[in-house]
Amino acid sequence: MKEYKLTDKLDLLILPIILVIIWYFVCDFFMLVPSYMFPGPIDVLNSFIRLTLSGKLFKDIIDTLYKVLLGLFLAAAVGITGGIILGWSKKLERLCSLIISILRPIPPIAWIPFSILWFGIGTTPAVFIIFMGCVFPILVSTIDGVHRTKGVLIEAAQSFGASNTQMLTDVILPSTFPYIVSGLKVGIGIALMCTISGEMIGSSSGIGYMILTSTSLFDTGSTIVGMLVIGIIGIIFDYIFTKIQERIFW
Amino acid sequence: MFEIENVSKIYDSKGDKEDVLALDNINLTIETGKFVCFVGPSGCGKTTLLRLMEGFEKPTEGTIKDDGVIVLEPSRERGFIFQDYSLFPWLNVLDNVTFGLDIAGLPKEESRQRALKYLEAVGLEEFANSYPHELSGGMKQRVAIIRSIINKSKSLLMDEPFSALDVQTKHKLQEHFINTWKDRDTTVIFVTHDVDEAVFLSDQVVVFSRRPGRIKRVFENNLPRPRNRADAEFQSLVSEITKDIDESEDE
Repeated sequence: MKEYKLTDKLDLLILPIILVIIWYFVCDFFMLVPSYMFPGPIDVLNSFIRLTLSGKLFKDIIDTLYKVLLGLFLAAAVGITGGIILGWSKKLERLCSLIISILRPIPPIAWIPFSILWFGIGTTPAVFIIFMGCVFPILVSTIDGVHRTKGVLIEAAQSFGASNTQMLTDVILPSTFPYIVSGLKVGIGIALMCTISGEMIGSSSGIGYMILTSTSLFDTGSTIVGMLVIGIIGIIFDYIFTKIQERIFW
Repeated sequence: MFEIENVSKIYDSKGDKEDVLALDNINLTIETGKFVCFVGPSGCGKTTLLRLMEGFEKPTEGTIKDDGVIVLEPSRERGFIFQDYSLFPWLNVLDNVTFGLDIAGLPKEESRQRALKYLEAVGLEEFANSYPHELSGGMKQRVAIIRSIINKSKSLLMDEPFSALDVQTKHKLQEHFINTWKDRDTTVIFVTHDVDEAVFLSDQVVVFSRRPGRIKRVFENNLPRPRNRADAEFQSLVSEITKDIDESEDE
């Protein structure tokens, strides 16, 4: 990967800055759009300062991140374990393949009704939806990784007398690791989407809840703050996973 | 000692095409401590027989015995060296070399010391912490070879290990390998399509014919070691074997 200097990245900011300037003139300077329909950058900045000072923004970010990471963690635990087992056993994979094929394309938000029915309002339904959204990409990616383990590496380990357990821990798992990471990378993107949907309906806290409720209070500035925060969290996670992927050389 | 008795291998083509008879009724005995080369045209089943001897695949008919025990699955008693090295890309050189010892449960420090000694012997001690993708083909194969011989298995099965290397590297590794081998009583089965290589290394050259794979002829190679490629006897054995292979190619 090419190493970028800071000055190389400044050009990325040109268009956003131009857009913010246009936005400022349209909404704040000429006031062509009423702020309860769409806020200007000044409104957003005000909301941001207000939410930061009151500690509400920080609390909501922590709240959302907690759900995202918990949901992702549970999905990873089930997806990776299941993926290794199904990747290893052709019979079990065949047994489960139709179920996975049917469940996988169901959008995670379709689970919202049941999640509310089963778990009520709060953290759990959101975590459940995140889990349902993330578990399949991680599972499928892990299965794929196990399948792509090179036959000669397995044979090499066999010729050293590796037991099945040793084969799993010393060959299959490291060989599958890059696929697990890319599954998690896809998963975290889905998790963010699911969290916001989940929080809008089955929750009373978090960024998603803030986005929804602030609009109904005509505080559209806070809505934009919430949306931008989600975008920035997404970038940070993506960056972290990309860095991990760059360090994997096999 | 390997005893190969009436071994046939048929690959089910699973289609309308005819099944492939890769090996047809092979009988061969390989004495302990011998260096035996399998040569023949490509597609003659020499690699298939080697894989059967390790236990990666099972013969359709017949049996293979290793010191009297029927081969059913791969074993650490039979080291296997692959054409494409098959080093573990996520392990550094040292950890690759100790892989078999770690599997066997040897103390970490002991296997480390042993591996370093082996690496030193092939001039790779500086690369102990390098990863396979940082090494040249010749270096990778040296690592793969010591990764196998460090386990002191009774036999070594080698599948065209030097075929992807340039001639100089190849000759260097052949010489090096023969020097490490001659102090031991390890049986070596070495598959190659390079007759020169077979004559340089082996005590016995088994020539295969193609489709179905059969043993055409077994040459005893009693040329004195260390061998010199320029010797007339060396050359004449090479051309005799080459002629034999060419004939089976034409059939």
